[in-house]
Amino acid sequence: MSTAETTAESGKETELSPQFHVAHHFDSADTQFDAGRMGIWLFLVTEVLLFGGLFCAFAIFRSWYFDSFVEAHHHLDKVMGGINTVVLISSSLTMALAVRSAQQSKKELTAILLAITLACAFAFLCIKYVEYSHKFHEGLLPGKYFSAEGFHTKHPGVFFAIYFMMTGIHGVHVVIGMCLITWILRRTMRGEFSSRYYAPVEGVGLYWHLVDLIWIYLFPLLYLVG
Amino acid sequence: MSAASHAHDDHDDHAHGGHGKDHVPHVLPLAVYLGTFATLLFLTAITVGASYVNFGAWNLILAMVIATVKAATVALIFMHLWFDHKFHSIIIGSSVLFLTIFITFTMFDTENRGRAEAIEGEKPADIRNPFKASERQADMMRNMGPISSATADVARPSPPAPASAAATASAAPVPSATVAPSASVSAAPSGSTSATPAPSASVAPSASASAKKP
Repeated sequence: MSTAETTAESGKETELSPQFHVAHHFDSADTQFDAGRMGIWLFLVTEVLLFGGLFCAFAIFRSWYFDSFVEAHHHLDKVMGGINTVVLISSSLTMALAVRSAQQSKKELTAILLAITLACAFAFLCIKYVEYSHKFHEGLLPGKYFSAEGFHTKHPGVFFAIYFMMTGIHGVHVVIGMCLITWILRRTMRGEFSSRYYAPVEGVGLYWHLVDLIWIYLFPLLYLVG
Repeated sequence: MSAASHAHDDHDDHAHGGHGKDHVPHVLPLAVYLGTFATLLFLTAITVGASYVNFGAWNLILAMVIATVKAATVALIFMHLWFDHKFHSIIIGSSVLFLTIFITFTMFDTENRGRAEAIEGEKPADIRNPFKASERQADMMRNMGPISSATADVARPSPPAPASAAATASAAPVPSATVAPSASVSAAPSGSTSATPAPSASVAPSASASAKKP
């Protein structure tokens, strides 16, 4: 790379992300990026910890009340769950592409992709709402609130307790993710991100992918296998 | 230096751009993202399809294997873990490792609850002296008359006589007695002539039994 090219490139790039600077305690922009990314990964570990407890509870109660779990999981709608899986995977794709276009300093494309991601998240919650209202209507509720009749096993309420707790906390993560995506969408439209600086887009993207990852496990465990 | 050409070199080393230089993003080709998306949709279709077929106990294992492949695909490509510092893989990998330990060891507990209680109901333990015979066993022994403590159930902690003999034999440091099968083979021909204490009899019970014959 010649010096002429370097000056031309840096001259062009100072126009990108004008508010961005490397904090004085970081050696370089790369170091700053890596430190931020490592922080996000450590945060994702705590998320694994949070959901890990729930997965452990699922494992225990499934082995104790296997018959109830098998009977109860047939009352979940595989089609709705499957559609939600596709919706969430699509949102993961658009999120990953949004990070990619932010890396390429394509402001408009990033904004559009983030908006699609947001729409997918909203669609996910709408489908979840339809599912939840069906369950409420039929009395398929957690623990002692379980009031549905015609069950042949003793503990379907335990299954629905775990179902609502796991999908509920996952749904809260979707809502938080929507808030974060809205935040970086606004910042994208203000022109804050570019190939020089896109760390918040990448961080929110990593979080959003984790939300997708957890659903990848929740869907077969709750809807398919029971 | 375009971003696209950069995508193919120095995957492991992200130390491009020294002091004061700008961060150069690592941009993957669009086809990689679309291919990943297609893979995920395909695996979702497979796992849904497989749920309509009953594989018995394999239902759960199959679903979890497919889910793990999907999760790994998302983590490696969408989350850039494959192209990232290996330390980030170690961070998230260790969380998965410890989650596995957490669930496995909890299942060791919850799957075996109620097994000890039945045995303890039969033979209540004296907490102050757990290896002493319980009152009921002591009564039984008194009723049955004098018996040697070696044959009674009381002596469970100490192993039976032949086993202890084998244990002492194996405790002797014999260099040739490292591999059990060869030790038993060598013990069979030589046991009758030379070695009555059978120094080569190590762990295999058959070896110690054959050695005791002469």
